[in-house]
Amino acid sequence: MNLSVQIASMKFKNPVTVASGTFGHAEKYFNLEEVKEFGAIVPKTVTLFSQEGNPPLRIIETPAGMLNAIGIENPGADGFIEKKLPHFRKIGVPLIISILGHTDEQFIQLTEKFNAAEGVAALELNLSCPNLKHKVLVAQDPQATERVVSKVKKISRYPVIAKLAPNVTDISDIAAAAEGAGADAISLINTFSGMVINTKTRKSVLGNFTGGLSGPAIRPAALYLVYQVIKRVKVPVIAMGGIMTSDDALQFLIAGATMVAVGTANFVNPRAPLDILEGIKKYMKDNKMDDIKELIGSLKIEKNIH
Amino acid sequence: MNKIQKILTVAANEKLCPRFYRLSLDAKSLIKQVKPGQFVHIRVHDGLEPFFRRPFSIYRAKKYLEVFYEPIGRGTNLMASYKKGDKIDVLGPLGNPFTLPPKGIKQVVMIAGGIGIAPFLVLSDALKKKYELILLYGGRTKGHVYPMKEFKANGCKVYVATDDGSAGVKGRVSELFAKINADPKTTYLYTCGPHAMMAAVQAFAKKNYLQGQAACEQVMACALGACLGCSIKTTKGYKTVCYDGPVFDLQEVIF
Repeated sequence: MNLSVQIASMKFKNPVTVASGTFGHAEKYFNLEEVKEFGAIVPKTVTLFSQEGNPPLRIIETPAGMLNAIGIENPGADGFIEKKLPHFRKIGVPLIISILGHTDEQFIQLTEKFNAAEGVAALELNLSCPNLKHKVLVAQDPQATERVVSKVKKISRYPVIAKLAPNVTDISDIAAAAEGAGADAISLINTFSGMVINTKTRKSVLGNFTGGLSGPAIRPAALYLVYQVIKRVKVPVIAMGGIMTSDDALQFLIAGATMVAVGTANFVNPRAPLDILEGIKKYMKDNKMDDIKELIGSLKIEKNIH
Repeated sequence: MNKIQKILTVAANEKLCPRFYRLSLDAKSLIKQVKPGQFVHIRVHDGLEPFFRRPFSIYRAKKYLEVFYEPIGRGTNLMASYKKGDKIDVLGPLGNPFTLPPKGIKQVVMIAGGIGIAPFLVLSDALKKKYELILLYGGRTKGHVYPMKEFKANGCKVYVATDDGSAGVKGRVSELFAKINADPKTTYLYTCGPHAMMAAVQAFAKKNYLQGQAACEQVMACALGACLGCSIKTTKGYKTVCYDGPVFDLQEVIF
């Protein structure tokens, strides 16, 4: 059975990866032999300088999901490359490094730093970052997306993946802008903006006031947005948004996603990526498919007539 | 399987007093690994509601792996319905344990508020032979105070305060601080409970130059140090309760 997929020049042995910020400390908690089964690993987003993150409370559970405002706590590019990258590299799974610049210049510097590092398979641009002095995020503005992606693409020695945010009018316009700027793949979706208010204190529950909603609560909306992007662009799509089970993952693959990322599910079931991979294999076997390409984009689009 | 995820069988699930339950899990393979102050992260059911696992201090690890809980929310109310033989998905033992008191310490005082008593029985199991043990316990009502037979069997002197005075002294646990021999050379503190209570313990300790450790709690998602969701404020910046804690130096936490 061939499960391998490709993004630009980079091959992955299967389509299952973990989403940024949801997986770590593999040596301490996991059997590395099993983690080796992952198609790829996306460590938590790295910024140029270290960030201490947002004040508590940073997370709260919501109906079938969670709201988070971690604030991209990370040791900065140099700290990550020195202290964390060697551990991730040891696992032996392709690493997709998620980077976020607070300016275009920071994106360029981050790219240069990872160009100089070893053991990186691709760069994922977390475009949920401020857009110069505008109020919107880069991922909410097609021109800004195009600008950032093209600047990174010009110098990156790795395939470049643009990660999109769902809080936009038409996500396919943003995806097309990223593709036009040379993005090798599109990943989506980042979290939906959300809030929870404590009615006793009449305060927002999160220390950061607002946060990002993830988990199975957003899955059907994520699938819709992924499908809109797949219809629009030709580059591969890495899909994420509330994938908990292999059936969830299959929906995104059938819709046409080349890879699927397991995120919030890791917090509830650390085995989720492996369970999902097994489930995909079983589905392919049951449906007599030898190659994952038969599965990807196999959505039947006859109108349902009742 | 990853190293820390196990399916365990419920051996017993008992109400110990009007408010508190004890869940005993068959976990022979884990019991020897457990150190006082560590926790388990329980997937309370297979569904999506409530969504997160629930972290619980390990109450005891002798015959069974025990957790102590108060049915107060959706997760803990579901747990109260567990029957012998039920299978539960458990991560653990996790987190950094309590460390032993420094040299010269003779009196160990455990100061607990409410469900914060949970990590102290297993601690008293480990310390009972070497130290004079005192437990200061603050609860809301008599219903929150169970007989504490096991603590007494470990030689603990137990003092109780309740908010309404229905058991022990009326008032906060701080009413019981006079029981402490406040000599920093020989007395050491461990505390677990609501932040306001631990802040009072911290202030008392600072004033009397006493050292100690605090077991902290926070809303938790992964419990594996990956999501960085359960961070609390410390003098060394934000620290995760699950991975950097749950036990911290008493003066390090900013309550």
